[in-house]
Amino acid sequence: MHCHRHQSVRFMGKADLHQLQNLLHHRRPDATAEKFHFRNLLLGEHDVPLTCIEQIVTVNDHKRKQKVLGPNQKLKFNPTELIIYCKDFRIVRFRFDESGPESAKKVCLAIAHYSQPTDLQLLFAFEYVGKKYHNSANKVNGVPTGGGGGAGGGGSQKTPLFETYSDWDREIKRTGAAGWRVCSINEGYMVSTCLPEYFVVPSSLADQDLKTFSHSFVGRRMPLWCWSHANGSALVRMALIKDALQQRKVDQRVCNAITKSHPQRSDVYKSDLDKTLPNIQEIQAAFVKLKQLCVNEPFEETEEKWLSSLESARWLEYVRTFLKHSAELVYTLESKRISVVLQEEEGRDLSCVVASLVQVMLDPHFRTIPGFQSLIQKEWVMAGYQFLDRCNHLKRSEKESPLFLLFLDATWQLLQQHPAAFEFSETYLAVLGDSTRISLFGTFLFNSPHQRVKQSTEFAISKNIQLGDEKGLKFPSVWDWSLQFTAKDRTLFHNPLYIGRSMPRVQNGSVKPFKRTKVKAHLVLAHTPRNISLRTQHIESEAPSADDTASAGFEDPVLSRGLDRSLLFLLGTEAREALGSVESQRITAVTWEVPFLKPIHSASCSFWNQPAQIFF
Amino acid sequence: MASAPNSKYNTRSLENESFKRASRDGVNRDLGEAVPRLPGETRITDKEVIYICPFNGPIKGRVYITNYRLYLRSLEMDSAPILDVPLGVISRIEKMGGATSRGENSYGLDITCKDMRNLRFALKQEGHSRRDMFEILTRYAFPLAHSLPIFAFLNEERFNMDGWMVYNPVEEYRRQGLPNHHWRITFINKCYELCDTYPALLVVPFRATDEDLKRVATFRSRNRIPVLSWIHPENKTVIVRCSQPLVGMSGKRNKDDEKYLDVIRETNRQISKLTIYDARPNVNAVANKATGGGYESDDAYHNTELFFLDIHNIHVMRESLKKVKDIVYPNVEESHWLSSLESTHWLEHIKLVLTGAIQVADKVSSGKSSVLVHCSDGWDRTAQLTSLAMLMLDSFYRSIEGFEILVQKEWISFGHKFASRIGHGDKNHADADRSPIFLQFIDCVWQMSKQFPTAFEFNERFLITILDHLYSCRFGTFLYNCESARERQKVTERTVSLWSLINSNKDTFRNPFYTKEINRVLYPVASMRHLELWVNYYIRWNPRIKQQPNPVEQRYMELLALRDEYIKRLEELQLTNSAKLSDSSTSPSSPSQMLPHVQTHF
Repeated sequence: MHCHRHQSVRFMGKADLHQLQNLLHHRRPDATAEKFHFRNLLLGEHDVPLTCIEQIVTVNDHKRKQKVLGPNQKLKFNPTELIIYCKDFRIVRFRFDESGPESAKKVCLAIAHYSQPTDLQLLFAFEYVGKKYHNSANKVNGVPTGGGGGAGGGGSQKTPLFETYSDWDREIKRTGAAGWRVCSINEGYMVSTCLPEYFVVPSSLADQDLKTFSHSFVGRRMPLWCWSHANGSALVRMALIKDALQQRKVDQRVCNAITKSHPQRSDVYKSDLDKTLPNIQEIQAAFVKLKQLCVNEPFEETEEKWLSSLESARWLEYVRTFLKHSAELVYTLESKRISVVLQEEEGRDLSCVVASLVQVMLDPHFRTIPGFQSLIQKEWVMAGYQFLDRCNHLKRSEKESPLFLLFLDATWQLLQQHPAAFEFSETYLAVLGDSTRISLFGTFLFNSPHQRVKQSTEFAISKNIQLGDEKGLKFPSVWDWSLQFTAKDRTLFHNPLYIGRSMPRVQNGSVKPFKRTKVKAHLVLAHTPRNISLRTQHIESEAPSADDTASAGFEDPVLSRGLDRSLLFLLGTEAREALGSVESQRITAVTWEVPFLKPIHSASCSFWNQPAQIFF
Repeated sequence: MASAPNSKYNTRSLENESFKRASRDGVNRDLGEAVPRLPGETRITDKEVIYICPFNGPIKGRVYITNYRLYLRSLEMDSAPILDVPLGVISRIEKMGGATSRGENSYGLDITCKDMRNLRFALKQEGHSRRDMFEILTRYAFPLAHSLPIFAFLNEERFNMDGWMVYNPVEEYRRQGLPNHHWRITFINKCYELCDTYPALLVVPFRATDEDLKRVATFRSRNRIPVLSWIHPENKTVIVRCSQPLVGMSGKRNKDDEKYLDVIRETNRQISKLTIYDARPNVNAVANKATGGGYESDDAYHNTELFFLDIHNIHVMRESLKKVKDIVYPNVEESHWLSSLESTHWLEHIKLVLTGAIQVADKVSSGKSSVLVHCSDGWDRTAQLTSLAMLMLDSFYRSIEGFEILVQKEWISFGHKFASRIGHGDKNHADADRSPIFLQFIDCVWQMSKQFPTAFEFNERFLITILDHLYSCRFGTFLYNCESARERQKVTERTVSLWSLINSNKDTFRNPFYTKEINRVLYPVASMRHLELWVNYYIRWNPRIKQQPNPVEQRYMELLALRDEYIKRLEELQLTNSAKLSDSSTSPSSPSQMLPHVQTHF
């Protein structure tokens, strides 16, 4: 179970930026023959990003001593062993049998030091992006391709980041949401530091009203529009109204405005998430239990009572609670045609999960790769989900809670239950989860968009970086998957069972709202659990290994010949290679649209065991 | 869940689909009756009833009973049938309520099925209205008790393919490279005189004479002597199956049996010890001594190593599956699903069977030792272990026809007692001989197909179809306990084989992700972390779990069509390349050189 290597650690100096020095290398000597073709361009198979480290324990066998290394701590003994507990359930152990006692100590202290920075600006992403700016200072237009975010898994569509007015405007048009408008009162974060600069509000509320009302809300987080159903009912999220005197009045005005924005003027259904869902501490506790269960030794002991232990960890129960509650709101929006307001104290934790799940279930667009990514931008990154604290990048937060992982798990459950409804695969979800622990991308690094701007501006000033008109540094985006994977590997993000493609249709130059053809109301629900996961793994192992031309990205010899690379597994290994020279026209797949998804039974809520498959 | 659109369509049984397919093959569809019939199927009666659907509530309808099926149509709407159940699926029919029972729908029939569901019908309380329905159902669901033939003997379906031709033992052994210098084919059991539950044709060590075999037979339970199931094509180690030795309380020994096992070991010179896997838990093996059985002791069998695999007996498995039904039908246990599932021990049993098979496969694949497998009689756990190990070792058995041959060989010909375990046409629902051993095997295969989604030519539907017809009695494939009985009844002449249906509609059962790999041994992970309940089978009657039409099946068909198209392009490529090749035949990296291999892939 453990990576137990009798080998000294290779640890690279902090200055060695090109080699991504924040990664810990401990390659197996025999790792030359790469069995699996699927690999991360930034990380080797056994590399651990420093932000992925959870705890560092040093051991001395002879003295029988053991010490957890916090930041800036002294080590009074010479370690014979180093154990690194990772956030992704890995446990990495090193023996220092061959290295001198002093260097062993130095390595341990260095890892402890760099993996537990005292300040946000000491995270690797800052140094990385700073260096990029310096390197490109001499070039024209040399600014790194920042936020934008490139092709999702081989697709050509850009992911809207919702940093601009126009992204929100397009989303309003895409969903056909009449009665809603983009509001700019938070430009320059003048109203709230935890809201995005642009968001969408009921058209009937004037800027001045919003400014006045905002004082009544926790964190000035006034009602934010998430999404509108084609029937006109809207999904809205907001914080609690803290001002007891104003509460009724403000509440009334807000609800009236949302009602006015509904074509049928229907009532508003308010869902108090704090009362209906587990809180973030409970979720964290469940996750800790789950982790203990998964890394526990001896294996046989946990094996015997695996299912009941899994149940008592309560993680799956919570995943199901979120799915169930979201499904109820789907019913309210879809069948009752009533607008839904998600209410939560700060409106930036449970709301993120529920708002996203409801949209994944209702809108096929969010089951595509670009759509799913835009959803995460919209409901998590821009909505001020506190990634820094919840992911605990600085390792000293008491506010750690894996809500984003919970969302990915819930999405995975939906994918298991509706294998034909998602453009992306299990591999994509797993890789996305891993990416939250790589402190190179700006996407999952901050508590709010404002924090990114503020911190990176400070950093830029201290490092003498000219920002020009830019609002803060442009960190690389997770959505630029080419930074992590070759075009060929990105084909594994695609789910071969996917039958629904309902991208926004561009007609006469304008984007039409997506079409919502219902094939039949109860058409799509199926349950073929786990089909995709293992398949992708096997495709990995079957993928031809010598084809490096594809790594260049654009020059994919197969794509250029009109064959869908993600479907090439249909042919055998050798046939796939032979296909390199097949001439043909593009295959147009038969496409269906999938109406809405419902999570089903507890019997269908299964354990996402992919991490276990990798590490056990 | 509030948003569930409860549709009548959802309760349709799978049987329906085979119906629609069959109707293309010439089912009589009498429009007046609105009941589709197979050739040879006759209508017996029909009656107005209320079907008490556990998911959608009571539905008024008309039930039609034929000599093959029970068929229910709603009175209210002109829709698809609500039920279409082969009578063979029925294990028990009970009357519920009496003529004076109060309460709505309290008087009627409660039918327990072998496929994880119950059917309840309410009838009018006046005039013993359920009596004739009860009697007719009992008569045709349990024909053996009424001296009626099982439907398979009346079925007049015709298919393009003849499933009875699929398995030819001589051909199958030839495929394995047998006979060879060490193994011979014997016809000693031609008239089933050596062992009445074994097939006519057996493969035994070359050095063992027929006289030896007869003497060994006296020391093996029900004369089921050790015979070859599979031989490794390269290292020549073998899987041998048999029943337990008749050691008894006194610890009897038999020199012939001891010598015979040594002869088996010696068929491979590199091997110093023969590995014996006794499928049972150690205590059960010991307990069997009381009834004359036992296991191979160290002191009697010198060059052997014995391991117990801890797999429980048929009774434990039956009770375990019963518990699974309790938590999934009609309602899925919601609040403590995982611990309830754990307490059924079903997955634990699956795990032990798979673990045992993995050990057998690993031993043989490593070339370290030949393996002898037995349990008590060698027709339940032994069949599970040998067939699963063979599935892991030999990719041939992972094709559709290969799997049919595997079932035909290790289960049907070697006397898994299908008639007793399933109780075809038999009314004794509480018979202690019944047990879901074959279902458990199919579940293990499904677990493997989940873990190796590209390794099997067949899809989930193939496995479910096999299980449906395990009970349906439409085909002769699973009838009777052994080959000799089947031969006496002339099953192959008088009935249709299930493989005829499947092989005539192969595309429906194909897995689009299949990639043929010749020498790959599959070792599934038999850990609770990876085993899961086969929801699509065990909970398929619940409309929230299984919805129709299934978009995955639709997508499968699209992918298969795409694959055909890709293959066509490859062939075009082959043509252009061979044209090029004639121009310049020197290019070493020409793809056409790969094409001969490529073709073997399809």
